[in-house]
Amino acid sequence: MILTVNNLELHQGHGFCLKVDHLSIEAGRIYVLAGPNGAGKSTLLQTLALLARPHRGEIRLAGEPVFWRSSVLRRLRHRVTLLQQNPYLLDSTVYHNLAVGLKIRGIRGYEQKRRIEHALLAVGLDGYAPRCARELSGGEARRVALARALALQTEILLLDEPTANLDRETIEIFERLISSLPAQGITVIMASHDAGQPRRLGADVLHLARGRLLTVRQGDAARRTEPSSVEILKWP
Amino acid sequence: MDFLLSSFGTALALILALDTEVLITAWTSLWTSLTAITLAALIAGPVGLAVGAGRFPGRRAVLTLLNTLMALPTVMVGLILYGFLSRQGPLGPLGLLFTPWALIMGQTVLALPIVAHYVATAVAGADSRIVPTLQTLGAGRLEIALQLVREVRFGIMAAVVAGFGRIIAEVGAAMMLGGNIRNSTRTLTTSIALETSKGDFAFALALGIILMTIALTVNLFLHALQHRRQEQRSGVREMGVGS
Repeated sequence: MILTVNNLELHQGHGFCLKVDHLSIEAGRIYVLAGPNGAGKSTLLQTLALLARPHRGEIRLAGEPVFWRSSVLRRLRHRVTLLQQNPYLLDSTVYHNLAVGLKIRGIRGYEQKRRIEHALLAVGLDGYAPRCARELSGGEARRVALARALALQTEILLLDEPTANLDRETIEIFERLISSLPAQGITVIMASHDAGQPRRLGADVLHLARGRLLTVRQGDAARRTEPSSVEILKWP
Repeated sequence: MDFLLSSFGTALALILALDTEVLITAWTSLWTSLTAITLAALIAGPVGLAVGAGRFPGRRAVLTLLNTLMALPTVMVGLILYGFLSRQGPLGPLGLLFTPWALIMGQTVLALPIVAHYVATAVAGADSRIVPTLQTLGAGRLEIALQLVREVRFGIMAAVVAGFGRIIAEVGAAMMLGGNIRNSTRTLTTSIALETSKGDFAFALALGIILMTIALTVNLFLHALQHRRQEQRSGVREMGVGS
């Protein structure tokens, strides 16, 4: 298991409490977090991204227990990244936005350039590297944020409603891209309100309601993307 | 009225003729103020960053203190530092009193709360998504701090410019610590006070015009920075990814 959670409890204001007795995430699969607004999807993602500290419980990343010490967190955050629902782009070029995480990981020079170009190509923003991030449209900004997360090539990619408020065509392309990630060894956990998305992605469903993980439903393995179809997905 | 007009004409003539004493006085003001603001930025910048981004007990009290110190009377700064630098004071043996370095010390102390408070305000007002975004990209504390500085750079520059505006225009501490010594610690402000008391109104006016020009330039620069910050904020909102 790439990620396991046991007896997790996280209290927030207004009496909200996220409670997950047990959750096991298998490597190289896609999981969709489903549930109504306020169910705790974003909070669970923040916790799994090691951004929100639970009051109780244990998280294990590839078997290693998470200790909430800055040095440990910093190291473990290199293995997991979160694309927030409302992503923030740094006040700089698109290239710099993608380069920040890579520089932190010590990836520079040709490898850095290659990863950035590859990630931008994957989200259909080839040639956008010198553009100012603040001049992009909302949809383009979301794609840059996704490219930034993809460029890091983390083992776990957490996505908070990545296709919310996007047009049908863009959603289809996002889904193609997401469904290609498990074949690259990337585990995807994404929050979504789209009831058809788990089926289209061949994903397992984690159903949350009022802060409780209710059910885990196995996805349709036959629908999962075959490894042969994944290399570089070009935006049409 | 004739007196004012003739004085103004003489003042302009002094400036255009590049009068040596006017130039030396203006240069003393500039280099001491620039040195002081650089020192203040190096000290107060990290303080402002820590206060603005940190969450610790007493943070609000520190902000209130900085806010209060921004209105610190210049003569009080002069008086306290005079006590330290005078022959009987703890720093007396250094022999700094009535040197440009005493002047720089006074100006630095005056600029510290201004720079720290403005930087803290800029950092505290920065987008709340910056830190979690950097954390999820794998950044440690130092990388977050450096990137945060980059994100609020216009606010930091505005803090430095505001501090510079305050110290180049102050007269109390400069007079008490520098001693208004010709070709050494005589600044634009102390010289204006002296020349006016001597009755050389035209010379004082020439210095005043230079001081006003510097103040105007600083303010125009500050205005441009604030305009850029507003554009930046509206840019985030228009992108549809802002909060």
